[in-house]
Amino acid sequence: MTADPPVSPVSPAWHAIRVGDRLPVFELPVTASVIVAGAIASRDFMPVHHDHAYAIAQGAPDIFMNILTTSGYVSRYVTDWAGPEAMLKKISIRLGVPALPGTTMRFTASVVRSERTGGEGVVEVELRGTTDIGDHVTGTVVLDLPVDGHSG
Amino acid sequence: MTDEEDVGFRARLDAFIGLPLSGAPAVAPDPVNIPMIRHWVDALDDRNPVYLDAEVAATTRFGGVVAPPAMLQTWTMSRPAIQGLAERGGAPGELGPSPLKVLDDAGFTATRATNSELEFERYLRPGDRLQSSAFVESISEEKETALGIGYFVTWVTTYADEHGGVVGRQRFRVLKFKPAARPAQR
Repeated sequence: MTADPPVSPVSPAWHAIRVGDRLPVFELPVTASVIVAGAIASRDFMPVHHDHAYAIAQGAPDIFMNILTTSGYVSRYVTDWAGPEAMLKKISIRLGVPALPGTTMRFTASVVRSERTGGEGVVEVELRGTTDIGDHVTGTVVLDLPVDGHSG
Repeated sequence: MTDEEDVGFRARLDAFIGLPLSGAPAVAPDPVNIPMIRHWVDALDDRNPVYLDAEVAATTRFGGVVAPPAMLQTWTMSRPAIQGLAERGGAPGELGPSPLKVLDDAGFTATRATNSELEFERYLRPGDRLQSSAFVESISEEKETALGIGYFVTWVTTYADEHGGVVGRQRFRVLKFKPAARPAQR
C-alpha cells in the first residue's frame, strides 16, 4: 500500500504550527524509473544511477538513487505540507542505506522549531526516509512561512 | 604501501585542502529555464504550483514561477561525454588535478555521496545564469566503512548569479572507496 498525501493548495498559517506537529506520511515506491528519471533530471550521469552492470561492479546491489534526487524528494515532501508560500532556507541531509529499486521509501517528519523572525515564521522540520533495509535519509529542513499567512 | 608511501599520499591529499575542487568555476550551460524545471517536476512528481503555474505563482510571495530549490546543484552540472562514461568512473569528462582524481588513481574508484547541506539565499527564476565555485574543505583519514576502505572528501560550493550575487551554498561530502566486489590488494 502506498499513500500519497494531498498537496496543500495553500500554506498552513504559521501561528497554527506547533513544535511536535507531525507531517502526513508519504510513501514513495522506488523503481528503476524513479531513480533514472531523478538522476537525469538532476543532470547526474554517474553510471551507478542508471547502469545496472556498472553498479554491481562497484559493489552495489543495484542502481541506486542519487543524492540530488533524495534532496528533491525531501523538498517535495516538506512543501507538499508547507504549501506554495513556503520558502526553503536549508536542506541538510545525511544518507544511510541506498534507495534501491523495488523498495518503498516511507517519509516521516515532525516540527522541531518554530519561531518568529520579523515578518517570517521560521520552521524547522526533522525528517527521515526509511526503506525496508533501514534509513535512506535523515535530516532537517528549515523554511520560512509568512507570519501573516498569504503574502500575495 | 609502506608507511613512507602513506605519508606521501597523505601529503598529496592535504595539498588540496582549501583549493578549488577541480579547476575553474563551473558555468551553467543554460540559464535557469522552464523546460528543465518541467523535466524535474515530472521526474519527481512535485506538484508545488510555484514551479510551473505562472498564474498561481504570481499570487504568492515569489510573484512568479521559481525553480525548485533542490535543483540548485543541477544548473551547473557538467555536460557529460556519454561515450566512455563508465570507463571514466562516471566523470563527465577528464578530471583536472583534484583529490578525487588522486583517490581514483589509488584505487578508491567508487563514490558514494553521504551528506548534502543546501542553503538558499533566494529562489532562482527563469533567466538566472549561474556559476559555481567549489573548494575542498576537508579530507578524512583513511576509514574502514561498511562499503570498504575509503576517504570522506568534503567540499563547499558557492552558487552565484550573473551579477555575482550569491544565491546559495552547498556543503557536500562523498566517500571515495575501494569497492568491496573487487577487494583491494594491500
